[in-house]
Amino acid sequence: MIRFLKLYERFGIFIFIFIGAVFLSFATPNFLKLDTILNIIAQGSYAALVGYGMTLAITSGGFDLSVESSMGLASVVLAILIPVAGIPLAILGGVVAATCVGVLNGLIIAKLKVNPLITTLGMATIIKGVALLITSGKMIVIKQREFLAIGTGKILGIPNPIYIMVAFFVIFYFVVYRSSFGRHVAAVGSNESAARISGVNVDAVKIGVYALVALTAGLASVMRTSQALIGMPSMASGFVLVVLTVTILGGTSLTGGRANLWGTMLASIFIAMIYYGLNLINLQIFYQMLAVGIVLMLALFIEGLRLRFLKAAKAKGIKV
Amino acid sequence: MKNSRALVWGANRWERYGLPFLVAVILLVFSLLSVPFRSTYNLASNLSFASLVSIGSIGMVFCIMSGDFDISIGSMSALAGVLGASMVTRIGGPGSILLTIAIATLCGFVNGVFVTKLRIPAFITTLGMQFVYRALAYIYTTNTPVYIKDEFWLSIGSGSVLGIPSPILIMGLCFGVAVYVLRKTPFGRHVVAVGTSKNAAMLSGINVDFVKTAVFTLVGFFVGIATVVTASYLGSVNPGMTGQGYEFQVITVVVLGGTALTGGNGNLFGAFFAALFITYLQNGLGLMQVNSYWQYVATGLVLILAISINRLKSTILGQREA
Repeated sequence: MIRFLKLYERFGIFIFIFIGAVFLSFATPNFLKLDTILNIIAQGSYAALVGYGMTLAITSGGFDLSVESSMGLASVVLAILIPVAGIPLAILGGVVAATCVGVLNGLIIAKLKVNPLITTLGMATIIKGVALLITSGKMIVIKQREFLAIGTGKILGIPNPIYIMVAFFVIFYFVVYRSSFGRHVAAVGSNESAARISGVNVDAVKIGVYALVALTAGLASVMRTSQALIGMPSMASGFVLVVLTVTILGGTSLTGGRANLWGTMLASIFIAMIYYGLNLINLQIFYQMLAVGIVLMLALFIEGLRLRFLKAAKAKGIKV
Repeated sequence: MKNSRALVWGANRWERYGLPFLVAVILLVFSLLSVPFRSTYNLASNLSFASLVSIGSIGMVFCIMSGDFDISIGSMSALAGVLGASMVTRIGGPGSILLTIAIATLCGFVNGVFVTKLRIPAFITTLGMQFVYRALAYIYTTNTPVYIKDEFWLSIGSGSVLGIPSPILIMGLCFGVAVYVLRKTPFGRHVVAVGTSKNAAMLSGINVDFVKTAVFTLVGFFVGIATVVTASYLGSVNPGMTGQGYEFQVITVVVLGGTALTGGNGNLFGAFFAALFITYLQNGLGLMQVNSYWQYVATGLVLILAISINRLKSTILGQREA
C-alpha cells in the first residue's frame, strides 16, 4: 500500500489527466486538436499561477483564503491606473496593491501570531470592502484595447497565459527547490520551533510566503482583467476553492513541509479539462462548482489515506 | 512587577466584563449620535435580529471548543432552506420547518463523518462541502428563490409569545439548552476534554470520533434553527444569497466572544454579547448612513482585533501560572 501511495504521489495526477483525456477524446472529435488542447491549458493557467503561491503557503504550514479579494483589489487598481499611468505602470500598481495585502497578512500571522485561516478570512472581508469602496460597487470599463493583448494574445500560436504559467513555474521551481528561501519554507512547515532554533528567520519566511501568494494572485488578476477589459471589485467568486483543490490534488501535503509544484500545474490542467467536459454537455456553472467540490473531497480522501499509512509505517519502523 | 499584576487584573476583568461593557459603549455612542437608533422599536427589533447570528453561533462554540471549524454553514443554510421551503405546500408549515432543521442536521452529520474519517483538518473538509452544498442548492432550484407560502412559518419572525418576540424566545431556549449541555452533561465535559487534548481524551476512554461527529451534527442543528428564523424574516430562501458570509459572521461572533481557537475553552454568553455587539454596530453604521461597504471593513477588523486581544489576554494570564 505504501509503495502504491508513493507511486500515486508521483504519477497519480497523470492517471487523472490520462483518464480525462481518453474520456474527452471519445466524447468529442474536437478535443484532439492542438487549438482545443492549448485553450484548455490556457484556461488552467490562472489556477496554476495562484496555485504556485498556495503551494508555497501550504508547504509553510499556512493557508490563504484572501486570494479572491486580492485579485479584486488588483483588478480595480489596475483599471483605475490605466488611463492615468499607462499600461505597464498600471500593471505594476495592481500587482503591488495585491502584494501589499499579502505583506499585511504575513505581518499579522507572523507578528501577532494569529491563526492564518482567521487572518486571511478577516483580510478577505476587509479587502473586499476596500475594493468595493474604491469603485463604490461599480465595475470599471477599460477603454485601452491594447491591454486586451496580454490575456488574449498569442505568440507563435500559443496563448500568452501559457507562457506566463510556464515562466512562473520555472521561477517558482527555483524558489521552492533550489533556493535557501524554499528550504526555509519547508523547514518552517515541517517543524516551526526546530526551524526557529536552527536559526531560520521564521517571521521573515512567513511574510515572504504570503507576499508571494498575493503576488501570484495579482498577476492572475492582471490576465483576467485583460481578458474581460473590466475592473471588477468582486472578481473570481469561488476561485479560492479551485486553487486549493489543484494544490492538494497535485500532492502538496496539508501537514506542511512537502511541496509539489509540478503536481499543482498538472492538476490545474485537469480541472480545466473537467470544465471543458462539462461545457460540452451544456451543464450550468453550478455543476462546475459541484465537480470541483467533489474533486477536492476526493483529493482529501487520498491525502487522508496517505497520512494514515505513513503513520502506520512509522509505527512499524518501516522507512519511507 | 507591579505592572504585570495590573495587567493580569485587567485581563481577568476583560474576560468577565469586557463584552457587556463593549455592548454598553456601542449602545451609548450610537444613541447619542443617532435619533432613530435610540427608539425602543429599533433597539428591540435589533435584539431579535441578533438571534439570527447568535443561534448559529451556539453550535460553532461547541465546534471551536472541540478544536475545529465548520465553514460550510452558510451553504448548509441555503441548501436546508430551499429544500424545506419548497416542501411547504406538500407537508405544511410545521412539517417543512422540521424538515429544514433535519436537513441542516444531516449536513452537519455528513461533515462530522468526513472530518473524523478523513482525518484532515476540518476547515478544509468543510470548505469543500461549502461548495458542494451551495452547488446542490443552485441545482435543486435552478437558481430561483423559493418563497415561503405558509402563515405559520412567516409568523415566527414577527410573532410574539406573552409579549416576548418569538425569535428572542427561541434564542433564549437554545442558549438555555446549550448551557445545560455544556455544563451539566458528560457530553459537554467530553467536548472540553477533546478540545484540550485529543490524545489525553482518547487515552481516558472518550470516544473522540463520536464526540467530534456529534459536535458537527450540533452545528448543523443550530444552523437549521437559525435558517428557519432567517427565512421567516425574509419570506423566501435564495440559493445564492442565503447564508452568504454567514460562516464569517458566526466565526467572528464566537471568536469575539472569547472562545479560544486552540480549543477546550468555550464561552456561550460571550458569543451572545458578541452577536449583540456586531448587530448593533452594523445597525448603527447603517443608520448613520455610512456606506454599507464599510461594514465589510469594520467586521473584518473586529475579527482580527478580537483574536489579537484574545491572544494577548491568554499570554498575560498564562504568565501568571508559570
